[in-house]
Amino acid sequence: MHISENSKVVVQGITGKQGMFHTQLMLKYGTKIVAGVTPGKGGQKVHGVPVFNNVKEAIQETSPDTSIIFVPARFTLGAAMESLNAGIRMTCIITENVPVFDMIQLVEKAREKKLYLIGPNCPGMLIPDKIKLGIMPSDMCHYGDVAIISKSGTLSYEITKAIGNRDIGISAYVGIGGDPVRGTTMQEAVAYYSDDPNTKIIVLIGEIGSDEEEKTAEFIKSNVSKPVIAYIAGKNAPEGKRMGHAGAIISGDVGTAKGKIEALKVAGASIANLPWDVPKILKELL
Amino acid sequence: MLEYESKEIFGKFDIPLVNNIIIFKEDDIEEKVKEFSFPAIVKSQIAIGSRKKAGLIKIAKSTNEAILLCEEYFNRDVAGFQVEAILIEELVTIEQEYYCSIALDASGRQFYLIASKEGGIDIEEVSKTTPEAILKESFSFQDGVSEELANHIANQLGFSGKQVAEASQIFMKLWKIALKLEAQLVEINPLVMTPSGLIAVDGKMILDDDAGFRQPIVQILQEKKLSELEKVAKEAGFSFVELSGEIGILANGAGLTMALLDVLSEIGLHPANFLDVGGGASKERVYKALELIFKLTPKVVLVNIFGGITRCDIVAQAIIQALGDFLDAPPMVIRLTGTNEKEGIALLKEADIDAFQDVMKAVKKIKEVLGE
Repeated sequence: MHISENSKVVVQGITGKQGMFHTQLMLKYGTKIVAGVTPGKGGQKVHGVPVFNNVKEAIQETSPDTSIIFVPARFTLGAAMESLNAGIRMTCIITENVPVFDMIQLVEKAREKKLYLIGPNCPGMLIPDKIKLGIMPSDMCHYGDVAIISKSGTLSYEITKAIGNRDIGISAYVGIGGDPVRGTTMQEAVAYYSDDPNTKIIVLIGEIGSDEEEKTAEFIKSNVSKPVIAYIAGKNAPEGKRMGHAGAIISGDVGTAKGKIEALKVAGASIANLPWDVPKILKELL
Repeated sequence: MLEYESKEIFGKFDIPLVNNIIIFKEDDIEEKVKEFSFPAIVKSQIAIGSRKKAGLIKIAKSTNEAILLCEEYFNRDVAGFQVEAILIEELVTIEQEYYCSIALDASGRQFYLIASKEGGIDIEEVSKTTPEAILKESFSFQDGVSEELANHIANQLGFSGKQVAEASQIFMKLWKIALKLEAQLVEINPLVMTPSGLIAVDGKMILDDDAGFRQPIVQILQEKKLSELEKVAKEAGFSFVELSGEIGILANGAGLTMALLDVLSEIGLHPANFLDVGGGASKERVYKALELIFKLTPKVVLVNIFGGITRCDIVAQAIIQALGDFLDAPPMVIRLTGTNEKEGIALLKEADIDAFQDVMKAVKKIKEVLGE
């Protein structure tokens, strides 16, 4: 979403353990990383990438249009605000455990400046053979015409790899993250790939909690003509317990897998009962 | 959060409350109760719903009745929960009950000021049966609850004259509380009109666990609500939820772990727990996770790792060490794939432990081990 093989990337938190490690993997994939940012560490280099003290300086010297954030949760609000204020078009937040009120402020800022945010607590995005903006395995799949939109990381790797193993290509892999307040909602991601000429089929990987899937189903019903396949995790999750992800919690009868599956069925989506059914259904559709 | 904890916060923000006392220990009952005038309402503070139905809220007509009731409550065990404190409140004359709250619509990424004349009841129920009875106005973080918005809702609720200001002050204070504590829900239910004005009779809040590093109250509440094993898991740094089945689960990734539980249930197997060991798990963390699962005494333990940041060989080392240390460990079925899977599987083989790369094969193996 809002990235391409021409995107010029700045890595915020590049000198940290995760930032450094994934910078190397993204570079290896071919992602154009032009700068890194860590306050107080300007002038250093990480895997050959120049480090700046702030995003503004990075823009002056290297003109990135995309940011990926690896800073700890308590600094994420500041880092992402900096990126948005500097006018970076797409900011991708990998960090987990970002406070909800911080995300709300970031979403409002992005709206005001008409910029894009994705995450937090997400694996990022991948356009196979073109750009990797994230932490997902590099060898899951090759380029093709199926878009994958997922709330979860590892589960989506498993499904994407299974799709890749069947020699089905991927137009984009988008991890929207497992937190309750998202920079990009599931509905926004579906709307984007519904309009994307390179995408023929959309795969949704959802899970219990919130009403994202229900809202997305409403949207699909009247706006999406492309086939949609959905898998929802957590059919057997107990009520009121956080299942790993901050957003994965059923409260009362809101957020159950059953409710989501019903809504998506009504919207015309094909439902995969098990994760491994997704590639089977794809084969039938292609 | 319990009623008295919410009320303590309401009090700090000058939301009008009914006169009350709070008793934390059995030893304090007599002294405290004697200071209060009766009849009054005695409410046990315990983390279960429908307290009235369970007889955990009752009216005491006299001091003696109140003492007996308090003693009874402190010694009662309701479904494993203990009464944490007892709140005694003056009886009020109710002219009308209302509902009001500030709630975050997470997927819509905005806040709502919600109010209703149908106070004291389950708001989720009302929103299903008579949605027209609920007033809702959205607002942004930046704007907050303005006086205009608050007055608008107060007018729509049917307040007039100085009652409008009284109600809208309360609505604006709810937003102040939400902001200060980073609450996703601050609710007064019911808000009651009495001859002397509006008062909050009961309340509820939902806070953000992720804001715990700057909200001390979140840490205190978290400690209270976790089970003993869940506390151990939290300290070790992985997500854990106790379930009621017989298959112990160690997996990585929240979504993948949930999907694994679904696959097991689909074929009639019941997980004993949810455990996402987290990304990039160290040998110590995996070992601790296994130790925790063994405490649940499952019939079989299923390890399912899709290595990304997590390395399969490190997981294998932890398994071998745990099986060496815990001689009464249940049989294990292991599936490793992803980063360093070959090294991991080779290590296990050397130690005479079978491992699968295909998850469905691993699941079938569980049935075999169970003798089904």
